Amino acid sequence: MTTSPTSSLPPAASRRPHAAWELWRALAARVARLAAGLRQTWRRSLQVRVVTITLVTSSLLVGGFAYLIADKITSILLENAETDVRLRLDSGSDYAAKQLGLFSQPQEAQLQDTIDGTVNYLAGGDPQQTSGVVVGIVSDNHTGIEPRFSPDVEVGTLISRELRAAVAGGNIASQIRTGRFADHPTKYLVYGSPVPTRFGQVELYYLMPLARQDATAADARATVVATGAALVLLLGLLAALVTRLVVTPVRVAARTAQRLSAGLLDQRMAVNGEDDLALLAASFNQMATNLQRQILRLEEMSRLQRRFTSDVSHELRTPLTTVRMAADLIFAERDGFDPAVARSAELLQAELDRFEELLTDLLEISRFDAGFAMLDAEPTDLVPVVHRVADRLAGLAERVGVTIDLDVPDAPVIAEIDPRRVERVLRNLVGNAVEHGEGRPVLITLGQDDRAVAVTVRDRGVGLKPGEEKLVFNRFWRADPSRARQTGGTGLGLSISLEDARLHGGWLEAWGATGQGAQFRLTLPNRAGDRLTTSPLRLVPADAALPFGGPRDGGLLAIGPGPGGALAIGPAPADDRAEVVS
Amino acid sequence: MTRRLAALLAGALLLAGAAGCGIPKETEVRVDGQVTAAKSGSASYRRDEPPNRSASGTDRAAFVTNFLSAAAGEADRSYYRVKQFVAPEGRARIQEKQPSEVALTVVRLRESPVITDSTDGTKVTLRVQQIGLLRADGTLMPPLATETEYRFGLRAAQEDRADAGWYVTDPPPNVLLLSDDALQLYYQTHTVYFWNTDRTQPVPDQRYLPLAVPDERRVTEVVKWLTAGPSEWLGSGTSRLPDGTRLINNATGSDGQWEVNLDMPVDADDRKLEQFVDQLAWSLPELEGRLELKIHNQSRVTVLDLEAHRRARPAYTLTHEPQRFCVYDGRIHPLSLGGEASGVVPLTEAVNRNIVSAGFSRSGRATQAALVTTGADGRRRLVVGTGAEPLSIVQRSPGSYASMGRPVWLRSPDAERPQGLVAADGGLYRFDGNAQLRAVPLTVEGEVGAVAASLDGRRIAVIVGGAPYVAAVNLNGGVVSVGPARRLATSLTDLSAVDWAGENTLVLAGSAARPAVYELSVDGALETPLRQDVGARVTHLSTYPLNAVVPFSGGNLMYEANGVAYRNNPFDTIKRDQVVGVTPPPAGLRAGNPTAPFFLY
Repeated sequence: MTTSPTSSLPPAASRRPHAAWELWRALAARVARLAAGLRQTWRRSLQVRVVTITLVTSSLLVGGFAYLIADKITSILLENAETDVRLRLDSGSDYAAKQLGLFSQPQEAQLQDTIDGTVNYLAGGDPQQTSGVVVGIVSDNHTGIEPRFSPDVEVGTLISRELRAAVAGGNIASQIRTGRFADHPTKYLVYGSPVPTRFGQVELYYLMPLARQDATAADARATVVATGAALVLLLGLLAALVTRLVVTPVRVAARTAQRLSAGLLDQRMAVNGEDDLALLAASFNQMATNLQRQILRLEEMSRLQRRFTSDVSHELRTPLTTVRMAADLIFAERDGFDPAVARSAELLQAELDRFEELLTDLLEISRFDAGFAMLDAEPTDLVPVVHRVADRLAGLAERVGVTIDLDVPDAPVIAEIDPRRVERVLRNLVGNAVEHGEGRPVLITLGQDDRAVAVTVRDRGVGLKPGEEKLVFNRFWRADPSRARQTGGTGLGLSISLEDARLHGGWLEAWGATGQGAQFRLTLPNRAGDRLTTSPLRLVPADAALPFGGPRDGGLLAIGPGPGGALAIGPAPADDRAEVVS
Repeated sequence: MTRRLAALLAGALLLAGAAGCGIPKETEVRVDGQVTAAKSGSASYRRDEPPNRSASGTDRAAFVTNFLSAAAGEADRSYYRVKQFVAPEGRARIQEKQPSEVALTVVRLRESPVITDSTDGTKVTLRVQQIGLLRADGTLMPPLATETEYRFGLRAAQEDRADAGWYVTDPPPNVLLLSDDALQLYYQTHTVYFWNTDRTQPVPDQRYLPLAVPDERRVTEVVKWLTAGPSEWLGSGTSRLPDGTRLINNATGSDGQWEVNLDMPVDADDRKLEQFVDQLAWSLPELEGRLELKIHNQSRVTVLDLEAHRRARPAYTLTHEPQRFCVYDGRIHPLSLGGEASGVVPLTEAVNRNIVSAGFSRSGRATQAALVTTGADGRRRLVVGTGAEPLSIVQRSPGSYASMGRPVWLRSPDAERPQGLVAADGGLYRFDGNAQLRAVPLTVEGEVGAVAASLDGRRIAVIVGGAPYVAAVNLNGGVVSVGPARRLATSLTDLSAVDWAGENTLVLAGSAARPAVYELSVDGALETPLRQDVGARVTHLSTYPLNAVVPFSGGNLMYEANGVAYRNNPFDTIKRDQVVGVTPPPAGLRAGNPTAPFFLY
């Protein structure tokens, strides 16, 4: 892999490995894809699993039995052949011992003739036949005696050195060898026995072709394998059939359930017969009917509720307008009234403002509920938006003695947003922060990365109790219901802000800790419709203390078992410390 | 995880199944048992092989003697042994033949080898008489070679060392020489029996078995001889086993249990197989115990006790010891030699006269007599009588002859149609119970001097032109026909009388410078002088053939020379007082002599 980038004509040798590497990668990718596909199929299809498991187990079982049977047949065949040859060998050995017993010297005349005659006699006397048993006498201890075989074939290496050594050592021994006579290899059972004579020992060998046994064994094996394969296939088919009987209704049920969950509440299963699956289908249908009824009822109720809110809001607006006009008139003329009445006029005016605000919020909420809220997104620089919000609330902040600090980048922060909604959200958040700031400064931070833009609003007021981070977005939620509203918040602001953030596809989250204040973070995608994964700013401020008070400066953390099997993390005691030094 | 395990297991099982089910291609050596160690060599193996080249040391004469015995022994190593004696450069002159084709040229040295030193080396000259060809099957054929002299050279095996022995240079080409002494030393004669053509009587056939053949293989050799058939010259008088009959491997036996397995293409009936077993029993007289004859592994004939079998079925129908008779004063008289029982003349007084010589034969209860009588004209006539003793009714031959030798009967268990032979007027004649003489043609030309028949009645010895011949006789259809005559090599010349002294030995009377009586084996190989100072030409000779059926310890030879009868063992004249039933002649008259002595058996 040393492809030189400067060489204009890379040598073929270096190109070829490259091509091979490419091919390998393509192949690997294909295999991986195939494996993934198989895995998916395996995970998804009960039928495939059942059939596969059935096939595997039945293959194991049938294979085992087939092996046993084939092995048994083969061993019986071999045993028969061995017994046969052994009998012949024994009688042949006796005969040869008698014949050769006449000689007391290996170089004696007629000995070789006798060996020839004996071998021919034992082989059946017809030297022309070539397919039968081969009988031979060799003498490993006497060099003067030529080995003889009948029929006179070239046995060559059929009688192995080990066998010769074993037989020459006085043992009756056998071995199966493969030899090549004529044109096809044949297995031979080679059986050898020493023949004691007065001049020492010669070795008698019987070579029995196992062609017939081999063919029989192969036949038996083929039959067993075919039967086994057929059995396995049959079992697989059976499993497929049975699973199909069960799985098909289940699939229909799953599809129906999917449709139901997708909102098609009038989907029902077909009920066939009276079996368990029919019962399942009937129960399913019953359940679907009940669910449908319940859901429709709830939907209707919800619709009525929303309709009611909207209608009430609308209906209230008309008389409110009239009341407003009258109140405005009275308010304008208040100077001419008795101071007590003038005060009432002022109160009326303020409460009417709040009422109007409440109505507006209610209408906004009902618009969200009805799904009529539309996002009017356009690329907008967020920096002026933040400044505008801060400026707007500067009066209120001044009144409660809160300073609003801004941490805004110098460069424009452009995002595709609906400026009206974002400004409303920020106004709400900053207003809340100023309101709950308890005179401490409020920090607004603006941040952006390549995917999202975020604004955090931090106050250092009473903060939030654990669990209240979610509750703050509920409609009309109050941290302390007994506390009076000073700023006249409607209790819907954060709900509307949350809906606005969702409309952008963004997040609105809260963090708070008792005594440390709270921080709200608005995260919006740079381009409308993008999915958010991270936020450019952190939700928990950097200066927030750890839940347990945090370790002492430079102190160590102790991690150990806590109560109820939990993991306890806390400041380590001063003594018995252990350090992990990297 | 479980699934992976299961898959792995299944894979392993499948592999094991594929590998384990079939017959394996190769296995380890499996030991089934042990065979007890072999017995060590037995003592019965004799190394009766001729001495090797270096045995003679520096002795040249002994070297030549050893060279003439080198070929003795089993045929498959004959060439090897002889070539050890031949100088390496001359070994090519001897071309080897197949072991079954090996034939040794048996010669009788007429004189000691002549070893002469000359400028071009040491020369050896052998003056020989050709005796025959000893073939691998133990038969001694008539000689084919005609050489009377063999010459070859000798040289020291190593120039600088005298004790390294000698080498034969320029050996006689393609000849394996064997001296008759070596034949006696390294071979033993072995008689096998073949049935005659009527299958009524076994005919002995003499073979030579190398002493190197161990006892265990003797049975095998004999069975091979029996299956291969008789010697050539006996072919016309004997029957053989069906063609293609052969011994399968060796005849095996141990602890008195013998087994002979034959391959017989044409199945023989049980009668013939039993006769074959009889042949075996006679041919292997030393064999005892049980014998089983198998044809193609099928047991056909079993003899439980060979010894008893031989006793129950003797080869010959002899029952009594021979009785001696002689002719005294024209009449046949029994002879009474010390210690022997004398017989009774099986002739009535009326017949017993004018007799010159006689031939008798006993067969069962019947006795055959052939008498040569002389008439007033001095011519010879044949008188024949058969029947129960004493014989009174006789037939006379119509013709008369100037000379007529001793008549012989061809012995046969069948007494109905006795046949006999007689040499008369230089021709061979056959006769039967009617004393009708008819000439018998011979395959050799010459004057027939004497004829003798063997104990089995199927072999005759004739003297034609003063030389000995043997021939087989065929009695087919009651007609005597003589097969090809075989001349025997003997150092005697001018033979005058012959008779069978045993199953395979002849006694010849002739001349070896002086008249002498020799014993000669039936193939001429072994010649033993019995009496070399006979003093006069033997005119009449009679023996009792020694055999195993009726042993005879007395001297079995009697002859007449110069009108005096002699006997052997000890050699002595047969005196008048040993003739039974002779009254001493009146004083003054010269007492007659017993003549033409003969045995009756």
